[in-house]
Amino acid sequence: MAIRIVIDILMVVGLVFCLAGVKGLIKMPDTFSRMQASTCISTLGAIGVLLGGLLYAIFVMGSASTAVKIVVIALMIIVTNPIGAHSIAKGAYKAGVRPEKPMEVDDYGRDFND
Amino acid sequence: MPKTKIPAVIATFILCMAFWVLITWNFSSQELLAGAVVSLAAALFSARFMIHGKAFWLLNPAKLFGLIYYVLIVFPVELVKANVDMAKRCFGGCKNINPGIVKVPVDLQSEYGQAMLANSITLTPGTITMEVTEEDDQTYYYVHWIDVSAPSGKEAGDAIKGALEKGVRRVFE
Amino acid sequence: MIMQELLICGVALAMLGIITLYRCAKGPSAADRAVAADSADILISCAMVLFSLYSGRGVYLDIAIISAMLGILDTMLVGRYLEGRL
Repeated sequence: MAIRIVIDILMVVGLVFCLAGVKGLIKMPDTFSRMQASTCISTLGAIGVLLGGLLYAIFVMGSASTAVKIVVIALMIIVTNPIGAHSIAKGAYKAGVRPEKPMEVDDYGRDFND
Repeated sequence: MPKTKIPAVIATFILCMAFWVLITWNFSSQELLAGAVVSLAAALFSARFMIHGKAFWLLNPAKLFGLIYYVLIVFPVELVKANVDMAKRCFGGCKNINPGIVKVPVDLQSEYGQAMLANSITLTPGTITMEVTEEDDQTYYYVHWIDVSAPSGKEAGDAIKGALEKGVRRVFE
Repeated sequence: MIMQELLICGVALAMLGIITLYRCAKGPSAADRAVAADSADILISCAMVLFSLYSGRGVYLDIAIISAMLGILDTMLVGRYLEGRL
């Protein structure tokens, strides 16, 4: 029974961060801020939910292969997500996406003047 | 194109084989043989892109301990702090933001260390690394920051990556 | 012990993924669409893991692995295209 409470708490924490990320993704005013908000989903949101699932697979199902596969999924999400975020942020800036309200500090635009 | 070296192939083969075993989780001899063949082919093709320096540097116990300490203690603490901050901003109406792109200096020599630090910065919500440049033997990152509290230079660098850089330096230097 | 919370949490995650598709349909630039699609991909992967645990079928886990592994490809492809280096 104690393990059930722990799993519930982990899943609720993950869901709260997923909700925060989705709200930021819908409501934020410009493209780069939306990217920042979406990082919440792929870090603590996914990790919380998958950690709950991992505990369920270990202590309730008792299945090693399921647990290992969940660990692989979490590892994949964590390792590959920053590469995509970096690539798309740079691509969006190079393609001319700018916030409506100009940024106060913009060293990238100053140094590469484009 | 760099040449393929034998230790690099062995290290990449071990990595691919471990991944195969993790995904299939089946220890019959046929599965292991098929995995070994596929891993060897993948290692022969990709070893020269994966490993540029020494292949087995991670077997040094001090560096291994540093890596485990970084992955289990240093990075999750920063991650949770940044996540809570970002969630507050999101639930607080998305108005409390002040975005900007700052240029911060980085004192790391190894290129694996630079890649690891850049990916760690990108993975913490609130900061995204946009470009890595090098001027006069000093590496600079251009970081998009959701709440610019200090202009470019040392203070911004300390606020963005203070603890992370110390942890990475223990692993790679 | 079969836990209903797994199903509830999985459905909530899938609904969040569907809400994310709003940004994917509306987004002013291509970068917005790619980021929203990536987020929806991750949310659906997590929902699939929970549903697999609830129903006890291993197939959904394999699909979730593939979805999480290939989610990087579309994002990187759009990023490289926008950058002009494809």
